Amino acid sequence: MEILGVFESLEGAMSGVKRLQAAGIEERAITSLSSVPYPEGVLVTTGYRPRFHWFVLACGAAGAAAGFLLAAGTAWIYPLQTGDKAIVALFPVGIITYELMMLFALVGTIIGMFTAMHLPPARRRLYDDEIAEGRIGLLVTVPSAAAGAGAAAALRDAGALRVLEEEP
Amino acid sequence: MSEALDSRDGRRINNELLAQMAPPTWRWYLLAFGLGVVVAFGLYAFTVQVTSGMYVTGLDRPVMWGFYIINFVFWVGLSHSGTMVSAILRLTYAGWRRPILRAAEAMTVFTITVAGLFPLIHLGRNWVFYYLIPYPNQRQLWPNFRSALLWDMTAITTYIIGSSLFLYLGMLPDLAIARDRARGWRRRLYALLAMGWRGTALEWQIFKKASTLMAVLIIPVAVSVHSIVAWDFAVTIVPGWHSTIFPPYFVVGAILSGVAAVVTLMIILRRVFHLRDYLSLVHLDNMAKLLLVISLLWSYFYFAEVFTTWYGHQPIEWEVFGYSAAHFAPLLLLMLFCNSLLPIVGLSFRRVRRSPAVLLVISLLVNVGMFTERFLIIVPSLSHKNIPYAWGSYSPSWVEVSITAAAFALFALLYTLFAKLFPLVAVSDVREGVMLEGERSFGRARLASRIEED
Repeated sequence: MEILGVFESLEGAMSGVKRLQAAGIEERAITSLSSVPYPEGVLVTTGYRPRFHWFVLACGAAGAAAGFLLAAGTAWIYPLQTGDKAIVALFPVGIITYELMMLFALVGTIIGMFTAMHLPPARRRLYDDEIAEGRIGLLVTVPSAAAGAGAAAALRDAGALRVLEEEP
Repeated sequence: MSEALDSRDGRRINNELLAQMAPPTWRWYLLAFGLGVVVAFGLYAFTVQVTSGMYVTGLDRPVMWGFYIINFVFWVGLSHSGTMVSAILRLTYAGWRRPILRAAEAMTVFTITVAGLFPLIHLGRNWVFYYLIPYPNQRQLWPNFRSALLWDMTAITTYIIGSSLFLYLGMLPDLAIARDRARGWRRRLYALLAMGWRGTALEWQIFKKASTLMAVLIIPVAVSVHSIVAWDFAVTIVPGWHSTIFPPYFVVGAILSGVAAVVTLMIILRRVFHLRDYLSLVHLDNMAKLLLVISLLWSYFYFAEVFTTWYGHQPIEWEVFGYSAAHFAPLLLLMLFCNSLLPIVGLSFRRVRRSPAVLLVISLLVNVGMFTERFLIIVPSLSHKNIPYAWGSYSPSWVEVSITAAAFALFALLYTLFAKLFPLVAVSDVREGVMLEGERSFGRARLASRIEED
């Protein structure tokens, strides 16, 4: 279950994090919601190590294979003999292979990014439109309603403007 | 860090930067209508060409590449810089990049879209354009990848998709801001495009990694696209084109016209949308310095190419240069003035770099020079190829001129529509900049300071 506290400023949100930790909630269960990026550790620490660049690399390799098969493969299957020229011309095959490699890698970056973010979400999640205007949200994931009540109280004590709770 | 940006600052910056998305005024409708009329006339001209045949153009032997290919090269060149400048500025964490990025990235998407239309217009039998798409046709023949036309097709497809994704990626947090402020169909549209973005710490971290990765990937694509366009020329044995220096020369020319176009757009947007506080004179000064450097580079490449030809004095190469100088001297001088003399001399002065009106004129003239340069690359070489009895010349017909005018209007129309639907300045980027920049006491002075994450 998730609890969201909305704060007016960074100082308020920082105080919220401290109160939540004092209430026994681990940092990994807390995340911030903001419309500007805060450097790691300013509010919370995610400890995230990106891995989707391997996916991008795999997409690039798949694109290179697709490009090679498209240009060289089709030249082999449907040969067009032109004088004594090679059936598989290296220069055009290189261009097509390169372009498709880059295309697949670019598309892979977007797919990898959204997959790592778990977006789009399967269900409606807690959010407040005021976050777009500069307010900061603290989102806490708790295992039970009782723990949720404790987290909500800590957020209110820290000066949250609003505390929203996920429907059980 | 400056006093952490609170919600009042956030709301104010949102209001100022998203004001351009307010419901259109009658002036906006008038502008869109005017541009639409020019586009419609271009469509009419194209219909005349399709129904009557290519003879309505000025194309004839030996000059079978004319305004359409000139436009193609010109628009691909314009597209070059938006994404590339944005990617380089992102990668180098240039603090002044923030207000410029979106306008430059959007410019790339629309200019490459316009560029992509010209090979199709030039095809002749336009209705069989799908022969370019690689699939086996009824004779079991696949498109021949040895044709430079297919290299263009592949490169432009990659670049259109890549630069659109680059634009979309950079816009993702701003789409969420727009979603949270919008109502009705706009809210549904932005919600769909924002994909459920909430701005969690994890989302921001992944977003930053993806932005960096995308910037690293898009730069070689941009370079490859214009290199491939240059190879359309350089791999032939046409005098004046068959040169190893052509790809880098084209890339530098493309960056020159692209940077000039970004400067033009910055000045127009700054004025129209009252963005003086965000697109300051410092931004114009920095972009003008970049334009100056690229102009110097272009001049170096141009004179390296001409000097080698002059010293080698191969008869057919020299014939093309001689013909160009004799028949197109005013255009040659115009090109040298607009691309070299004017930017190098003018932009050396700080007052010029910081004068929006003068800078606007210079940036527009640079692109006049670049269009002229594309003309001078294509027409003289084709007019005087290796067979003297087949020499000729070329001048565009009203059909080609109308389609060219329609291309400019289409670009402006797409940009105008974009400006009403999407944020033209990267709101979250600008707000991040305001948050990370501030003043710090140092000795007796208070100096500007900026926090940077390693």
